[in-house]
Formats: sequence, C-alpha cells, structure tokens
Amino acid sequence: MESLLLRSAQIIDPRSAHNGTTTDVLIRGGKILEIGQNLSADGVQEVHSNHLCVSPGWLDLQANFNDPGFEHRETLESGRLAAARGGYTAVAVMPSTDPVIDSKSSVEYILNRSATGPVELLPIGALSEGRKGLDIAGMYDMHMAGAVAFSDDQKPVSNAGLLLLALQYVKPFDGLVVHFPHDVSIAGDGKMNESPMSTQLGMKGIPALAEELMVERDLSLVNYAGAQLHFGTISTQGSVQRIREAQQKGARISAGVTPYHLVLTDEVLKDFDTNYKVLPPLRREDDREALLAGVVDGTIQVICTDHRPREIETKQCEFDHAAFGMIGLESTYALLNTHLRDRIPAERLVEMLSLNPRQLVKQPVEVIEEGSVANLTLFDPSLDWVYAQSDQASLATNSPFYGAVFTGKVIGVFNRGMFFAS
Amino acid sequence: MSELSSDHLLGIKYLNEADIELIFSTADNFKDVINRPIKKVPSLRDITIANLFFENSTRTRLSFELAEKRLSADVVNFSAASSSVKKGETLIDTVNNILAMKVDMVVMRHPNPGAGLFLSQHVDSRIVNAGDGAHEHPTQALLDAFSIRERLGAVSGKKVLIVGDILHSRVALSNIFCLQKLGAKVMVCGPPTLMPKYIQSLGVEVEFNLDKALAWCDVANMLRIQLERQDTRFFPSLREYSMLYGLTSDRLNRLDRKIIVMHPGPINRGVEITSEVADSEHSIILDQVENGVAIRMAVLYLLASKIERLA
Repeated sequence: MESLLLRSAQIIDPRSAHNGTTTDVLIRGGKILEIGQNLSADGVQEVHSNHLCVSPGWLDLQANFNDPGFEHRETLESGRLAAARGGYTAVAVMPSTDPVIDSKSSVEYILNRSATGPVELLPIGALSEGRKGLDIAGMYDMHMAGAVAFSDDQKPVSNAGLLLLALQYVKPFDGLVVHFPHDVSIAGDGKMNESPMSTQLGMKGIPALAEELMVERDLSLVNYAGAQLHFGTISTQGSVQRIREAQQKGARISAGVTPYHLVLTDEVLKDFDTNYKVLPPLRREDDREALLAGVVDGTIQVICTDHRPREIETKQCEFDHAAFGMIGLESTYALLNTHLRDRIPAERLVEMLSLNPRQLVKQPVEVIEEGSVANLTLFDPSLDWVYAQSDQASLATNSPFYGAVFTGKVIGVFNRGMFFAS
Repeated sequence: MSELSSDHLLGIKYLNEADIELIFSTADNFKDVINRPIKKVPSLRDITIANLFFENSTRTRLSFELAEKRLSADVVNFSAASSSVKKGETLIDTVNNILAMKVDMVVMRHPNPGAGLFLSQHVDSRIVNAGDGAHEHPTQALLDAFSIRERLGAVSGKKVLIVGDILHSRVALSNIFCLQKLGAKVMVCGPPTLMPKYIQSLGVEVEFNLDKALAWCDVANMLRIQLERQDTRFFPSLREYSMLYGLTSDRLNRLDRKIIVMHPGPINRGVEITSEVADSEHSIILDQVENGVAIRMAVLYLLASKIERLA
C-alpha cells in the first residue's frame, strides 16, 4: 500500500471536525494516520498544490462505459482511468451494454474487472429484462451479486405498471430504482429542447412537458407504492418544483443533474453543434436557474456526469442523425468550478459529488479524521488549465469543451491503498 | 457594395439587408437576360456546379439547373431520395467524392435541418442551401420577396400572411427571416397542431382564423400542405383542412380590397387554394417561378465571384 503526505490541504468534509481547516494529512496503510501541522514522514511521497483541497472520494452515479459490447467507445479500463483523472474513486455504470447487465453473471463481470485499483465500479443492473421494458429483471439476484441500483438508463419505462412493479419489488431489499423521466409520446422524434431556439432552427423539439408529465406520473407511483425513486437526470424548472413539493410532503424522492445542464442553455445549439445534442436536452435560462436553485437548496442531491461515449461517426454527421450524449468524467469538476464556484459553495459541491451519491447507493462514507479509511479526492480550485483531447484518458471524443480554459483541476485520487495522480 | 458578406448561402438568417438588396439588384439584371432572345451569359463558363438532391424535388432542381445553364456553368446532378445515411455513406464522404471530380459549388437539398451549415464546415466548396429540412429554403424566400417587391414596388411596410403548415415549413421560416429583414410585417395562420409553440418568439403575429388573417394582409402566401413530411396526422382530412384554411374566391370577395396571392408550388388545387384563385389576377404564382430562375442566377453569380479564378 502506498503512503502519501498531503501538504497544507484544506479539508472539505461537512461532517469532519477538521472541516475547513488547512493542515497536513498523512496516509499510511490505506488509512488516514495523522492530521496536523508540519507533519514529517521520511521517504513518503508528498503532494503540494497552490490551494490543495481534500474531500471524501467522489462517486459518479451515472456513467456509461459501454463494456461489454461497445468497447470501441469506452472500456472498463479506459473509463476507470478517465474517472480517476476526473477525481472519482467510484463510478456507477449504466447497463446500456451488449449484452445488457441484467443478470448476476454480468454484474460479476463488471465487479471482477474493477477488483483492484483506486476506482471502484458499481454496476447498475437493468430494471427490465434486456432493457426491453416488458418484464422486471432478476433484481434480487443482481442485488446479491453487488448491483447498487436498477435502471433502464435512458430508455424510460413507458409502462407505468412495470415501473410500479419494480418499485414494489425492490422494497424488501431496499433496492434503488433510477429512472429517466421522458414521455416518448410527447417527446416524439424531437432532437432538442422545444423553445424559441428550436423554432429558429426548424428542429423538432422535446417539450419540457415530456419530462414533467413523467415526473408527475412517477411521483404518483412512488406515493402509491410507498417506495423510493431517484430521477437520474432532470432538466426543467417544472421538474424541480414538483420534486421539491413531493419531498416537502415526505416522499423518498431524489434527483440528479448533469454539470452541463447547470452551465449551458439551448442557445449553444444555434450552429447545430452535435456535441451539444444530449438527453435530456439543454433547456432555457429559466430552467438552468431553477436547477441551480435546486442544487443549492437540496432538492437535487446529485451531480452526475452522465458520461456517454459515442463514436465520432455518430457525432460528425447531420444533427438529426447524431447520437445523444457527451462525455464528462474528465471535465465535470473543472466545468462546475469554472462557472459556478460563486453559486455552489465548496461543501455543497462535495455533498453533491460524494456524500449524497454514496448514501443513495449505500457505499461507505468515511469521515476525514485520523484512523478512517483513506478514500479521498484531491483537487485545486485555483489552477488554470486547458482541456485537451490529446491528454484525456477516455477513448471517446464527444465533448464540446476541448480547448476550454478551465479554472480548477483534479490533483488525484487515493483509494484502496493506491494513489493516482491526474 | 458588390460582394456578399457570406461565402455560402446557407440561410436568410446568415445574410444582412445589404446582401439581400445586392441579390435583388443582380437578379433584376438577370431577369432582363432571361427575357432576351438569347437567354444565356458566359459568366460561369469556368465553374462546375453539382446539384445534390437528397430529397425529392422537381421544380427547385429544374430552376437551379436552368439558372446554372443560363450562366454557362457545367452542371452535374446527383439525387438520392433516401438519405445518405441509409445508403451507408456519410454526407461528407458523398460530397467529398463529388468535389474530388473538381466541382466548384454545391447546391444541396437535404431532409435534415442544418445539413448545409454542417457541410460548409467540413468540405471545401461554396454551398447553396436548396432546402434543409424544416430549417431554411433561402432562394425561395428571396424569390418570394423579390416578387412582392416587383408587384408592390417595395417590401418594407407591407403586411405578408403565410398560411398553412408552419411547423414543417422551411419556406415559412426563411420567408419570416427575409421579410422581416426587409421591413415587412409577418403574420402566420394555420391549424394550431401545425404551429410551432414558440413561433411568436420570431416576432410574427399568429392568427388561427383565416378570414381575419386575410382581412389584415396585403399579400397571402399559401403554403403547400406537405403530407409527405408529416409523420403524424395533424388534421383529420384534406377536406377539413380545406374548409378551414383553403383560399377560395368567396373568401377573397369578402375582403374590402385586392390582395396578392402567392404559392411556392407545386399547388394542391382544391386543398390550400382553389383553381379559380390560382388562375386569377390576384395570383403571381407564375411570376414567382420566373423570378426563381433570376434569383438563383444572381445567387450563383455572386457566390462564384468570391471563388478565386483566372480572369
């Protein structure tokens, strides 16, 4: 196991007695051995940075590694490397694979491929067999094998009865259902948000209604079943309102948002750039502000990357034909810090990136104190750097942010006794 | 000004008012040319133009081809009713293959919005958008505005009504952009199911009652109902559409003044417009067709003049 000495690191962990203090941290034997000023440890690798920060290790609640089946987009290996570079010590991977992760053996495949190294993979099993939306998958078997949640990814469960069954079925083992609220009969063949921008571009729009109708339906189902549900990614003002109201009434509802829905609006689509073609679609400024308010007041608990690697051929083509999604593991922190550091306090960001997603998928949440297991993310909110395709780990290139000058950089991660420097 | 501000014609939204005026004054000259006994000039004799039609079209293609031939350009035609994707070749590959045969300009019609802009970013050629999905059809809008200018003396201050399937119409969108740039007021009219929810954000008025809309306008542009571009039934039958939004002599006779009637063609007689109206003195439909050739000559000529070539 590696030892590490963090020099003058600011601890960002709302539950720690050291929260906010700047101090040295000595890691040895996979644990935090000592926290204090001017620690010395001979021969131990030291980490310095201009404004070094350390928080509990981040967990991405929604990423796609396309392995097995689409390894040319991303493999478990390249994905884990991208995650480490992005500051994540754990990644929940979606079952949009071929074959679909809907059985014990496919869950074990993911787990076996991430048994060592600083980045843990947490399989999300399919909610329905083959993600076909017809019958519920063997969720208990997958749960026992190590699946942390169940979802059909961006294939919404259009059949309300099926989602109700799934919500009821997972209750005895407290399984987490993650749903993508998207009514396909309203969304139709839409390619972007329905808005003044889609009108100008002559493009078929996906109304906010497509998401909000499904949120309303799901809230009713959760209420009926007395169950728990996590909305993987939401994008509209109306969704935030409805979820906030449901939470105030005590519903076990949580929600995630991507960094780009917090930073961008559909105005960026004016030149038909396919790298901005995502699901849910980028919305309007009102929506962006509402999402941000939801992050600040706790209605939204999770910021996930929704890392979605695509072949270049499915992005370098006509907008209508382009695939939805962008990659994000290696740019999420920098994007958030660059644009929103004045809006989202550092502690809140750590809750969104680490503590809340860890609680949702029942992963240990170590407090940063002497004696606890070292599962940590190191970052520096003051560093400027240029995001370049040439030095990323992801195999995919569907990011609109290449060439962007970011402020804030991940320094590395420490987990399972191993240090990875970004 | 003697030069367009853009290297391509991708849409009206990428042009400024001076560009449009330049195209009009150039088209005035070409309209004279095509009414002479010898309808041809040698201006583009060193230029090769490829007409790429990824969507069915008869008259736009014919109009472009005539414009090209009257400018003495060499012309090649490529049509593929199915999209390039279905054929397995990407759009960029298709076009680059054709450009490799030393083609200078590409006129493209394509079913997807933004296809022309996309192409201009990835291939080294002048691109003329001859219609990209429900996005833009700039030469149609130019010839429509040119025809209004010809008949009414000016476009500025005129009230132009566009009737029909606004949701799926590139003609509507380009017309809105073009007429507004030239100072006209625009109203759109059609079934609510065929009206984009945010159409008012473009600064147009919306009226669902055709008679009220007709009473407002100086010019009514009746769009073709494009059943082929609708994947859902947005109205129950052509009969019902015609009852609500068909332009008839009765409707015109109820107005207190004469308005001009336009149609981008091809006409569904008896659906959006009756034969009586189409063939009446209100109609400038055939002027539009004639002006289409002059406008396309002007556009091709002006874009070609931006290509570096031997005198």
